[in-house]
Amino acid sequence: MGDWVEKNTVLEGANAMPAPTWHYLKMNDVSIEVPASLRVEPAVATAVSEQAVAPAGTFEYSLAMLQSWWDARWPSRVPISGAGADDAEAAYGGTAQSAYQRNADALEASQSLEAAFATGVGADAAGLLAQAAGDPIVIASDEGQNVRATVTVLGVADAFSSAAIDVVAGMNSTVNLDIVVDSPEAPENAAGFTGTTVRVLAGFGAKVNIRRMQTLDAGFDDIDDLGILTTDGARITVSQTVLGGNRTFTGLAADLRGDKSRLDIDLHYLGHGEQAHDFNYVVRHHGRETECDIQANGVLAGKSRKTLRGTIDLIRGCKGAQGNERETVLLVDKGVQNRTVPVILCNEDDVAGNHGATIGHVNAEQLHYLRTRGLSEKQAEALFLESSFDFALGAAPTEQAAAGVDRLARAVLGRSVVLDESEPTEGSR
Amino acid sequence: MAARTQVADINRELYDFVKSEEGSYRAHAGLTEDIVREISARKNEPSWMLELRLKSLAIYHETPVSDWGPSIDGLDMDNIVTYVKPLTEQESNWDDVPEDIKDTFERLGIPQAERAYLAGVGAQYDSELVYHNIQKSAAEQGVVYSGIEEALHGPHAERIREHFMKLITPRDHKFAALHGAVWSGGSFVYVPKGVHMDYPLQSYFRLNAKGAGQFEHTLIIVEDDADLHFIEGCSAPKYNVANLHAGAVELFVGKRAHLRYSTIENWSKNMYNLNTKRARCDEQGQIEWISGSFGSHVGYLYPMSILAGRKAQSSFTGITFAGAGQNLDTGCKVVLAAPQTTASIETKSISKDGGISTFRSSVVATPAATGSACTVSCQSLMLDDRSRSDTIPAMDIRCEDVSIGHEATIGRISDDKVFYLMSRGISEEEARTIIVNGFAEPVSKELPLEYAVEMNNLIKLEMEGAIG
Repeated sequence: MGDWVEKNTVLEGANAMPAPTWHYLKMNDVSIEVPASLRVEPAVATAVSEQAVAPAGTFEYSLAMLQSWWDARWPSRVPISGAGADDAEAAYGGTAQSAYQRNADALEASQSLEAAFATGVGADAAGLLAQAAGDPIVIASDEGQNVRATVTVLGVADAFSSAAIDVVAGMNSTVNLDIVVDSPEAPENAAGFTGTTVRVLAGFGAKVNIRRMQTLDAGFDDIDDLGILTTDGARITVSQTVLGGNRTFTGLAADLRGDKSRLDIDLHYLGHGEQAHDFNYVVRHHGRETECDIQANGVLAGKSRKTLRGTIDLIRGCKGAQGNERETVLLVDKGVQNRTVPVILCNEDDVAGNHGATIGHVNAEQLHYLRTRGLSEKQAEALFLESSFDFALGAAPTEQAAAGVDRLARAVLGRSVVLDESEPTEGSR
Repeated sequence: MAARTQVADINRELYDFVKSEEGSYRAHAGLTEDIVREISARKNEPSWMLELRLKSLAIYHETPVSDWGPSIDGLDMDNIVTYVKPLTEQESNWDDVPEDIKDTFERLGIPQAERAYLAGVGAQYDSELVYHNIQKSAAEQGVVYSGIEEALHGPHAERIREHFMKLITPRDHKFAALHGAVWSGGSFVYVPKGVHMDYPLQSYFRLNAKGAGQFEHTLIIVEDDADLHFIEGCSAPKYNVANLHAGAVELFVGKRAHLRYSTIENWSKNMYNLNTKRARCDEQGQIEWISGSFGSHVGYLYPMSILAGRKAQSSFTGITFAGAGQNLDTGCKVVLAAPQTTASIETKSISKDGGISTFRSSVVATPAATGSACTVSCQSLMLDDRSRSDTIPAMDIRCEDVSIGHEATIGRISDDKVFYLMSRGISEEEARTIIVNGFAEPVSKELPLEYAVEMNNLIKLEMEGAIG
């Protein structure tokens, strides 16, 4: 057993979007409260190919090495957004940039990869998670290697369990990282806190595939904190499934620094009961012809709440970059609340940025189809709820994750979603 | 083909000319209780208005400057003159308006427009209205269109008291509070039940004084089943010091009534345009916003529609063109607060020469908004890689039985389109201007012809020198 969390901790300004909007909307960021009553519990299981385990500090060393690559690429790349003011305008302060625009320009001017690297939930959360986790899990792949790793974080009653994971993917290598966050043995009404903070450096042509599935019981809060930096030709896929928990915080910050690097994010979530899910995605395009695609799909039922901030930042110099974001939210019950802020920041003309959102009830066409099959509106909505579990079951990276999905399904739907092979199916009768 | 023949016809001097301030009264620069009391006393206001002003002043001092939008560090209130009265009273005949001021509005085409197609005109010069008139036919229908201060002393005084700064309260934000403290001028419009105005009304605001602020208040009440189109125009000459515009527009749209509110904003590029506009629609009422933002050094402008009655509707069609030295933060807000309300938002923004354009919006659906729908579409065009275009839309949906759709795109002019036009003998600059005009067409087609022409001319002006 480890130390206790010494005092109530409130992480202010977590999951912050880079370009804020009206404060009264209460969407710019979120506060994360970690109660003092929790003990730090190393409830983490790791399975990593032995040859891929690397010492702590590998990430920092690799990031420092990349600095010279970046310095050589664009030695004189200084952003000049807001340029063009004439003398009269200069007399009253020049172009009146917003604070976030000034900060972004200052960060670009510094050219520092270390300063630019960030995780989605934020430095305070990453620090707390890393401190509680103790020694980081460091996964490093050599050139051309194929590495698989699974990290399981268990929610334990009255405990704070976290893992800090670094991934350094070598040239043309592949790293598959599965993260399972579950509370299979927590007693009824147990409460606790879980989290992971992951830092990824993807080398030239590397592929990094991350799947995270969270199936915590209703008394647990969870932080999913992720930071990514890509070099040329790197490919990252991130698949996140958020089914359980009480208050959950998911943040991803990616710096597509290398030319032709790509990031695909696939988020599936379900809100039920009194859950509150908070998501923050920030994708910064630096490299030429970089691409990102963010797909978020969710169902909100009961009195659940969800906030999603998605920022695509097309930074000057990222010629040919494309950023896409699409969100679909199905609202099932009267008490739900959905908040969405899909942001595009653009400081480059030769780019394409798109975002779209569809938020609402089951649409009329779908309803009509289901009615012709004899389903009422309520049954149709229940079908969508069930489909969240069915999808999660299919996407479960491990047997434990699948068991977690089924456990939650029994709690929420009142029945299992695992097909019982002992029962005859329609076709076999 | 001669390049930009039409562009050569347009001259910035149309807006940039300066008239002498000789004879005008200028309050002391800065913002003090004495100045607020002086403004109120000069207008011989009822006591409730002075109380509102003083309360607003207190709120102004305790409210912080926003930290999310363009910097207003270049705006020093100690240097702003909040009240400038030209040496004239309000007239209803252009011949009675002093020559300099009359010449100003003639150069802006206002009297000509009045003769051609307007049912009434209000013209404000610095802090005061200098001309206000309504066509006889409209007045005979019971339509009231007058200076708001004049109306405060007339039969509609109580109606004004019931509505004034009730939609936009001093607590909204710092510059709404400033407006409450030092407002001056502006129009009052009352359209009785069932009256349909065949021709628009127009108010034009001209800020001539260097280093001054303009704080006009527009209050429009359109009763049940009535219909009005109101046009707002504004301009100012350019100075090398900051000017400030912090007006307020409050619109009350009755049951089944319809109001179209069109604005072509062309303030000079030393202007801080911190304006607030808000409409409230009752059952089946409709508000249409048409908004073109071309001028100002800094712009904060987000017309808001509160759909408070069943089946109320709003539409917002806007274009923003940010050029050199400009940071224009524009957009709109919608609150779906009743069943079966609908809203549509369509905006275009263009950034050029280092200009910064930000589309910012909020769509809020309250639990009462069952069966409501809203669509948002915003498109941004980047004309070079020195400029910036940001899109920050927020949606807060607290009702499950709604349909909310949102689409946004950012990109540049397609080389293929430019190449196609150039292959037909059109110069590159002309081709780009044509494409940008096409991009802006959804807005210009909603404007009266003369204003659409003005908007297209402004685009051509902004496109000058866009190549190379």
